[in-house]
Amino acid sequence: MTTTATQPAPPGGPGAPPPPEEGRGGIAGLLELPGQAVRAVTKSAATTPGRLTVIAVGLVLLSLLAGLVATLSVQGRKDTINGLIEHREPLAAAAQQVYRALSDADATAASAFLSPGTEPPELRKRYERDIAEAGAALAKAASDSADVAEAAAQVDVLSQRLPVYTGLVETARANNRQGYPAGASYLREASELMRAKLLPAAQELYRVDTTRLADEQDDATGFPWLATLLVLALLAALIVTQVHLTRRTNRLLNVGLVVATVCVAVSLLWGAVALVMQGVLVGNGKDDGSHQVDALVRARITALQGRADETLTLVARGDGGGYEKDFTGLALQLVGQDGRSGLLGEARDLAQGGDAAGDVEKASQAAADWLKAHKEVRRHDDAGEYSDAVKLAIEQKRPDGAALAFQHLDDKLQDAINVGRQAFLDGTRGGDRALTLLAPGVAILAVVAAAGATMGIRERLREYR
Amino acid sequence: MSKRRFVRSGVLLAAVAVLATACGSAGKPVDPAPVSDAAWPQPAHVAGGESGAGGSSDTSCNPLASLAPTGGTAIPAGSTMAKIRERGKLIAGVDQTTYLFGSRNPTTGNLEGFDIDMVNKIADAIFGGHEGKVQFRAITSSQREDVLIGHDVDIVVRTYSITCERKKKVNFSSVYYVAGQRILVPKEKKVSTLADLSGKRVCAAKKSTPLTKITTDPAKVVPVSVDNWSDCLVMLQQGQVEAVSTDDTILAGMAEQDPALAVVGDRFTTENYGVGIPKDAEDMVRFVNAVLEDVRKSAWQASYQKWVGVPLGPASPPNPQYQ
Repeated sequence: MTTTATQPAPPGGPGAPPPPEEGRGGIAGLLELPGQAVRAVTKSAATTPGRLTVIAVGLVLLSLLAGLVATLSVQGRKDTINGLIEHREPLAAAAQQVYRALSDADATAASAFLSPGTEPPELRKRYERDIAEAGAALAKAASDSADVAEAAAQVDVLSQRLPVYTGLVETARANNRQGYPAGASYLREASELMRAKLLPAAQELYRVDTTRLADEQDDATGFPWLATLLVLALLAALIVTQVHLTRRTNRLLNVGLVVATVCVAVSLLWGAVALVMQGVLVGNGKDDGSHQVDALVRARITALQGRADETLTLVARGDGGGYEKDFTGLALQLVGQDGRSGLLGEARDLAQGGDAAGDVEKASQAAADWLKAHKEVRRHDDAGEYSDAVKLAIEQKRPDGAALAFQHLDDKLQDAINVGRQAFLDGTRGGDRALTLLAPGVAILAVVAAAGATMGIRERLREYR
Repeated sequence: MSKRRFVRSGVLLAAVAVLATACGSAGKPVDPAPVSDAAWPQPAHVAGGESGAGGSSDTSCNPLASLAPTGGTAIPAGSTMAKIRERGKLIAGVDQTTYLFGSRNPTTGNLEGFDIDMVNKIADAIFGGHEGKVQFRAITSSQREDVLIGHDVDIVVRTYSITCERKKKVNFSSVYYVAGQRILVPKEKKVSTLADLSGKRVCAAKKSTPLTKITTDPAKVVPVSVDNWSDCLVMLQQGQVEAVSTDDTILAGMAEQDPALAVVGDRFTTENYGVGIPKDAEDMVRFVNAVLEDVRKSAWQASYQKWVGVPLGPASPPNPQYQ
């Protein structure tokens, strides 16, 4: 929000020039005016010195007001950009982390469950890491959600249900260790809790945080109408005054007013260049950064949920038709009808020509491999060759297996997401740097302009003494 | 003097004011994180009762009368068994979800159970040993007829009840096991019939005959239906249902997974399990019946004791009937 920056401040706020001590005549009158301002202005405007005084007061007030509004607007924008870097993006990343870690836990728990004998330690570690990451990221997401009701509601659901989920997974493990098929049912119940309650909440939290990030990025690249209008008005007023004085006095230049005009012109130019640069850089941070990350995250989570479906179909041991139907839908979302569109296609289009293009292309290739391996898994399982299907689905080292292809897909998407986050940070930080010193600079220039206008008009007024 | 009085009354007034505010209600402490419900997680698609799945109402035949084992376990050239022997593998459609009858041991990854023992006995008779000679094909209960009609398998041994309706599409061996619907409850519960569970929640799998039975039974239990039988066990362990009711074979598997549960009451339905065989393979039916004759002599009891003797109590093999 930048509205605070546009609140007009009382004239003579911070940065107002100290009134000249030896003020006499019109200046002294000016100092005594506050109570009867309107009456005095109308009265004195009838005379030339009076009119000059009114012009001087007007120019000083306009300089100070324009300076104040511009300074606050620039400072507000700098704060927004810093907020993007320090709060919004990390929060969106935390929400993304919750969502990803939970989806991954769902898929990993099922994979670990399928392995005959003791579960592979690397899968167990991965699951434990997912849960730890989800918990840590959830705490981070919760820290900022208190004032956003829709985010707070999702954080509530996640905090209440995540411990229940882990409890069910452990019960499933305990049963499975004893060779009891009830383990599979506990795992399916855990997965149902994950899909029906936890993942929708995580998805909503992610959506809320991503929308807030995009909104603030728009705020940081919006056009500062009020400040621009005030500065332009000031510039016009200064020029009109000078033209007026030149006609009246036949003197070409008034040093004070020229100084004021130059100051305002410099502010305008500096501000315009800095803001355009900042806008472009923050915009890059959005287009090459956070926007791209969003597409990649959605692709990655779709893939993770598909992987969970793939393994759960096998956990269900011949009764997993529902999961397979889910998988088909998710695969369609991921790569589209032609295998080249869908979410991955969208991410590829966004990444085109960028640093992440190679990673996204490799991810697409891995997705194709994975879907091919999945077809083989289904062929084996449907033919009753359950053990072969399981091996093909979960053996991590098998080059034609689903596990390796999926791992490759996930890794490449993670790489691309990291590139995107870096692009966001580079762009946004660059935008912040473009505004360096602009706020104090504009304030000082405004004060100098006000002083210049005062001096310039006082010089003319002297001639009427 | 008047000044002191003024001061004193001022102090008094201030004290009264302070007391008045201090004694007022402070309100209640705020509940920092109100939680409205801590609902149990549920298996997917939990629903209520159904009455669609009909039992073995078709009485147009004597379902139990199979073909007599006239040729013994000899394998004549050109017979179905000879073809299986040439192929080198017996393909058997089995269950991998019913503990103790046909389920996958998560430690070894192998299938095991009473039904699997029967398959192995048949393989023994064909090949003289079953190790590496059986290709198990895990199928769901709804696939049983289809895989036989399509000749995808040689036999189906999968808690397969013999009914007249099914006999129109496939052949059955003689009965090798008699099961029936019973009740599974926590051991300390005094329950022996459905009537004892009146008004209580009882779990059964969707589209199953037991679900129809508990839905339509005059005992008026509250039916809860789930996708999978073992989802019922989960709900029973979590206290979401009071009992599970289905074939005692399935209940025995559940009781075996949880020592706090017991199979109680008498059977109130009868399910006769037979080996499913394609309609055109009558020589195979006679052969399997001959194998089952041998199995009934001692192997049956050994398998029974190994798998279901403890949860279900002593039993003897059912007598075969032939046409």
